[in-house]
Amino acid sequence: DSHIQYERVGADVTMKCGSMDWDAAVTWTANGTDIDESHLNGSYLILKNVDLTQSGQYSCYEGSSWHLKYQTYLRVGTPPKEPVLMCRSNNYPKGFYCSWHLPTPTYIPNSFNISVIHGTREMVCEKDVFPKNRCHIRYIQLFSTVKYKVTLTVTNALGKNSTTLTFDEFAIVKPDPPESVVAKPVPNNPRRLEVSWQNPSSWPDPESFPLKFFLRYRPLILDQWQHVELSDGTSHTITDAYAGKEYIIQVAAKDNDIGTWSDWSVAVHATPWTEEPKHLTTEAQITETTRASTSSFMPPPTTKICDKGAVVGSGAVAVCWTAGLVLAAYGVLFI
Amino acid sequence: MAAADSPSAGLRRRDLCSRGIRLAGKMRSDVMDLLDTYVEWQGLDASASVAAVEGVPVAAVERWDEQTGTQRLLENLAAYRAFRVLLAQMLEEQQEQLGEADTALGRALAAVLLQVSAFTYHLEELLQLESRGTPSEEVAVPAPPSQLGLFERKLRGLGVLRELAQWAVRSARDLRQLAKPSPGISSAPSPDESP
Repeated sequence: DSHIQYERVGADVTMKCGSMDWDAAVTWTANGTDIDESHLNGSYLILKNVDLTQSGQYSCYEGSSWHLKYQTYLRVGTPPKEPVLMCRSNNYPKGFYCSWHLPTPTYIPNSFNISVIHGTREMVCEKDVFPKNRCHIRYIQLFSTVKYKVTLTVTNALGKNSTTLTFDEFAIVKPDPPESVVAKPVPNNPRRLEVSWQNPSSWPDPESFPLKFFLRYRPLILDQWQHVELSDGTSHTITDAYAGKEYIIQVAAKDNDIGTWSDWSVAVHATPWTEEPKHLTTEAQITETTRASTSSFMPPPTTKICDKGAVVGSGAVAVCWTAGLVLAAYGVLFI
Repeated sequence: MAAADSPSAGLRRRDLCSRGIRLAGKMRSDVMDLLDTYVEWQGLDASASVAAVEGVPVAAVERWDEQTGTQRLLENLAAYRAFRVLLAQMLEEQQEQLGEADTALGRALAAVLLQVSAFTYHLEELLQLESRGTPSEEVAVPAPPSQLGLFERKLRGLGVLRELAQWAVRSARDLRQLAKPSPGISSAPSPDESP
């Protein structure tokens, strides 16, 4: 007969050779390798302070005949720690899902049981095929002030543990990030970038449950983000971009009325349109180029680069000075 | 239902719905502020559990997506008429309790009461548009039991405001459903499919 035996890390394990007497002559193997007699007490195998590396197949053979008398699979592991549970509605008002994981592995199989109670009603959380540690619930009621109570219990051969979350319907609403974010330069506009995106596909009814959006953008060379909140529409034109600088742009979404902001979308990069360099053959063209070059170094009105609170910190003053020096240089060159 | 389905009626309905959605949004925001003020004034714990309060219209609803437009309007109207009475009771209790006509809480309550009245009127207009006529104004809101102690009254008030906040969210959703183009206001939209 083959068995599975679960033991805690650090435990002392005694294995009997099936129905063999204590004083029978036996040989034990671990994964096919003979075990030294020093680990034997009569026909019993003694493993002290077991660790994970000692998991494996243990077999016991009768001394002279080498008949297999007993076999077991030793699994060394730990009882479960308190699981981490999270519940969220990214498809409001259809329902919500809960997902969980263990903070540290147990190294042995675990089973999970989840219960969801709304007032006096017990609701069924249907397990997802993928990912495994997740289940979803369809809302029966909407606009309820009664809280939901979700309890997750994890059990394995060495113990059990549980955790409980209590929340109300509105609090867990968090859409997925906006999708298909696109940022494009605007022809003949060196300070503009056109950004567009789509509602997350998991949000079932954006018409009745509209989303609002938060856009953030910054040039790659700076740390500080600019933010814009948009109450409707799925596009926005940035009008204060630094000419010629590559930007990184992200968008987040939130239900108009309830819940929390989504994670930021995948970042997109874009550089505003820049004028093609021209040959300076006439005075008029020189003057035009001067004006164009000067404006490209003019900080935009909302810039943080020279503000006191700029993340750039001590570098901000240096950048301000640099911009001023360049302007002065151009002025001297073209007087 | 020819009048309700005419293009001008459709435009009027969408206009009323848009304004109603804005009203509901403002109302919710003010009710949330009022909740903070109320909790502070009454010395309550903001997270205190309040059992269902008799006479307070409950916003929770099953099969919300299957409701007809008329059902939505009627349920909203009944609710806000009840809230109008409940808020007036709270205002009166507040004035009795403190003996002053003008307090920050009293002003906030009065402001929300005004918005609730305005929203009620708005709902009545929408129902008129649907040629449904407006149900008679008989609101069965029981007066708060006189044997309720002061603390119980405070908790009751908390329950009223919380439920009103839920209704304000629900009303905006209801009006957005109503504003969707549909073959007829009475026809139930098809239920959502399973994910």
